[in-house]
Amino acid sequence: MRRKQIGGACGVIALLCGASIYAAQNTADAKATPKQQTQQRTKRESEMNTKQMTREVIDETGRHVAVPVNVQRIVTLAPNLAEIVYALGAQDRLVGVSNYSDYPPAAKSKPRVGMQLNPNLEAIIALRPDIVLVTAVNRYETADELARLGIAVYGTDPHTVEDTLESIEHVGGVIGATAQAKSVVANLRQRLNALQSKLTNVPVTRVFFVVGESPLISLGEHTFIADALRYAGAQSVVHAKQDWPQISLEEVVRLNPDYLVFASSGFGGEDSTAKQLAELRSEAGWRELAAVREGRVVVVSDEIDLPAPGLIDAIEKLARRLHPNVFEDAARHARLRQLPVFIPVHAHLQSAVSQHSCREAFACAR
Amino acid sequence: MSAQGMPIPNAGRDAAVGWMQNPARLLVEQASYAYSASDRDAPDFTLGPVTFSARQREIVGILGPNASGKSTLLRLLSGEFKPLSGRVELDGKPPSQLPLRERAQRIAMVHQESALMFPLRVWEYVLQGRYPYGRRLRFENEADCLMAENALAQVGAKQLLDRRMDQLSGGEGQRVILARALAQQPLLLLLDEPTQHLDIGGKVELMRRLRRLAEENRYTVVVVTHELNLAAEFFDSIVLVQRGKCLASGKPADVYRRELLEQAFETELDVEMNASGKPRVILRGGAETEAAEGSAEAKTESQ
Amino acid sequence: MRPLTPRRIAGICTLLVGVLFIVVVFSLQVGAYPISVRDVAMTLLRGALGHWNNIPSSDRLIVFGLRLPRIALGILVGAALSVSGASFQALLRNPLADPYVLGVSSGAALGAILALVWLPQFPWAMQGLAFLGGLATIAAVYFLGRRKGQLDSTTLLLAGIITASFLSAIIMFLMTTVSGRDLRGMAFWLMGDLETAPAIGLGFLFLVLLIGIGAIYTTSSDLNLILTGEQEARHLGVNVPRVKLVVYVSASLLTGLAVSVSGAIGYVGLLIPHVMRMLFGSDYRVLIPASAIGGAIAVALADTLARTVVAPTELPVGAVTAAIGAPVFIYLLRRRFA
Repeated sequence: MRRKQIGGACGVIALLCGASIYAAQNTADAKATPKQQTQQRTKRESEMNTKQMTREVIDETGRHVAVPVNVQRIVTLAPNLAEIVYALGAQDRLVGVSNYSDYPPAAKSKPRVGMQLNPNLEAIIALRPDIVLVTAVNRYETADELARLGIAVYGTDPHTVEDTLESIEHVGGVIGATAQAKSVVANLRQRLNALQSKLTNVPVTRVFFVVGESPLISLGEHTFIADALRYAGAQSVVHAKQDWPQISLEEVVRLNPDYLVFASSGFGGEDSTAKQLAELRSEAGWRELAAVREGRVVVVSDEIDLPAPGLIDAIEKLARRLHPNVFEDAARHARLRQLPVFIPVHAHLQSAVSQHSCREAFACAR
Repeated sequence: MSAQGMPIPNAGRDAAVGWMQNPARLLVEQASYAYSASDRDAPDFTLGPVTFSARQREIVGILGPNASGKSTLLRLLSGEFKPLSGRVELDGKPPSQLPLRERAQRIAMVHQESALMFPLRVWEYVLQGRYPYGRRLRFENEADCLMAENALAQVGAKQLLDRRMDQLSGGEGQRVILARALAQQPLLLLLDEPTQHLDIGGKVELMRRLRRLAEENRYTVVVVTHELNLAAEFFDSIVLVQRGKCLASGKPADVYRRELLEQAFETELDVEMNASGKPRVILRGGAETEAAEGSAEAKTESQ
Repeated sequence: MRPLTPRRIAGICTLLVGVLFIVVVFSLQVGAYPISVRDVAMTLLRGALGHWNNIPSSDRLIVFGLRLPRIALGILVGAALSVSGASFQALLRNPLADPYVLGVSSGAALGAILALVWLPQFPWAMQGLAFLGGLATIAAVYFLGRRKGQLDSTTLLLAGIITASFLSAIIMFLMTTVSGRDLRGMAFWLMGDLETAPAIGLGFLFLVLLIGIGAIYTTSSDLNLILTGEQEARHLGVNVPRVKLVVYVSASLLTGLAVSVSGAIGYVGLLIPHVMRMLFGSDYRVLIPASAIGGAIAVALADTLARTVVAPTELPVGAVTAAIGAPVFIYLLRRRFA
């Protein structure tokens, strides 16, 4: 009986080892022969061993970082950072991104290094980055580990829209794209100012922003989205110090918001406004709301929460939906627009878009 | 014949010689104990004072109705309790003052069978009886194994060596537990109601075995039991307790008197002597008496 | 009759260490950055001999900077959890006991959350406060779990479960009221995470591990007896209250140690002792060392799977141990832990 048990245990261990070997094949790009591998490694060796000139900067989280003067290989550990790198025109130097870096779609083809919260350190090292860009969403432990392994880690920590613009400039400075950064930021600032001037005398729309439906969660005053709403001429009816307060539907009815805004992920995408409205109208409680009765429901792109250039697009779109009378030509452009839902369109390109049906917004921006 | 040629009465001489060869090993003198729920309350239960003694090769039975203090007395003997007054001594030393391991080398308690969490083989279980000897973290040597086998042989369970404890029958299990106690090589063997789950054949077998073990290994054995007749048949002395009081102690013939037993067990009993001079307890009257009493009651009620 | 001898124990341990060695070499070789077994061996050899300069720096980085520390941490945590689980199973006379049943992990989780909320910029704060939280829980459950001045198995179990529930309630409260941004790291802590290097050197932690396991090992004969019954053990000469105290404190400290450096990795402490019992018997003199090495093997292997199965995404170690552990548990249940 003992023998059988030991045999069974050995079988299980063998199975596990087999699974591991299979997994190993999954990850190893070792199709090369051992000799070739050594050669490859020696080549990488010499590249890595070249002493890089560095300069010391202080990143947005207050850490001292020794940034290489010549940045050729960039890894980003957050989707918004990947988008920023593309916006700065440095995507050829981007060698690795975190999972779900989907803006712009071209980023989907870049090598993945794992999830934001626990990226695969080996994968990062294998890409031999000169610098790794992180945000506050990544964990301190990840940044510390990479720093311990001798890799420069630059952290951004934008809390507002203005912070985002500054982050873009900082990142540009760090990766050696200062001029592009200045131009992109100037452009974005100009659009925001244009938006502000249009909305100067318009009353602020009272908005209830739905982060999640059950449980019903909205957003607090100090969140990034709350700041973005302000630029779109709106204000959240929920005044909470917590970032993601849970609210009861009764409270929402009492607050009686002018508009309901839904974050697009989890609510079927921006095109689903009609569907969303229909569902709300059929639900008890929700249909009591004036906003639902009068069809004032907006589904906004996820980019509203992403500190990246696309944020400005999302703000502009939201402003249009919330203040339709201010932006009369919105209707005309909606008819002419042929783009897939998730690609935000720069305002100043709208005429160009309608003429050229350009799909790659960023490519056109250059 | 004495040196002067005068005959000495046999009984006295034997008693004198016997006493020198077999002094009292277990001595209980005016020992008492009390339980209370907390330190401030008055005692809920008091035992004692109890006095009796026992020698090597003797079996003492502790008898009495339920909740009379039999188990408490046993725990006084095992050293778990320290007597509040009086003394308990085993070979001159009070068990409660001995360090635990020494105590275990002298006193072995045979418990009821309890379910084991993880499977254990019989030999592993019996080997545990050697724990009091040697260091705390110890590995059994050949001598230990020999003693364990011996112990099993003495209870007639040598063939159970490799069996698993949870596969044994009730009687087999109890023999193995007894073997573990024997492996401790004690001076005093304590048993708390060992015949509870045995049939009459098992009970008699256990009693015979205890008798034989006491003789061969010179144990002093103390058994708490309800078996009035088996005790009278096999034991050398009896201690009768009721509600914490020691009613009598001595030879069975002396202790088994009708008045004493009826007072202790609060039921009508008869005592008769059997052929070998040992007392036997039987119910008085039986079923007819009860029926008569019952109808008598009914009559008085209707009047 | 084959009584247990030190030689047999040494033989079993040698066998298990051999398996562990194979697992370690395998784990060193596998990963996103491919290194052949030969190169791993050369790297280790050169490292052992001190020829650091001869090792290609990328290999050195990967092997010594990333993989080896992680595997070592896995060994530490696996050994600690398994020994602790085996000890609690004896202490509480309950085959379902695991290292977390007495609430140490909930206390440590609370400490970790408080660190994330108050001191997010100090990476070592989480581990330090987690350990303190564990210690506080050990003390609290000890005082709650006494009856007539001694640790009582049933009372201890109840006290542990209640304390764990209470602490979980506090944790849930904190997780909903505090800003979401700070607490995302908590999710990984709760599922087990071997990537973060411990605040205190591994050498020191291994020393503490050995002391803890050693303390429990000195009571292994006693535990064998206690498992047949506390009264029975006392009558055989075991100082039951003292043994219970030593085992309780040592096993809880081992759990606190493991949990504060790696979060709550489940199923290891529960199942490895049972598997080792099936293979080698339930004598604690062999079960303690066998569980330690068996646990090390299990966690090291689980971690390797966690970081390679769906690369580049890394699964939490706790997810892998649960995925493998649950079927094993069902299998054991059907055989009734025999």
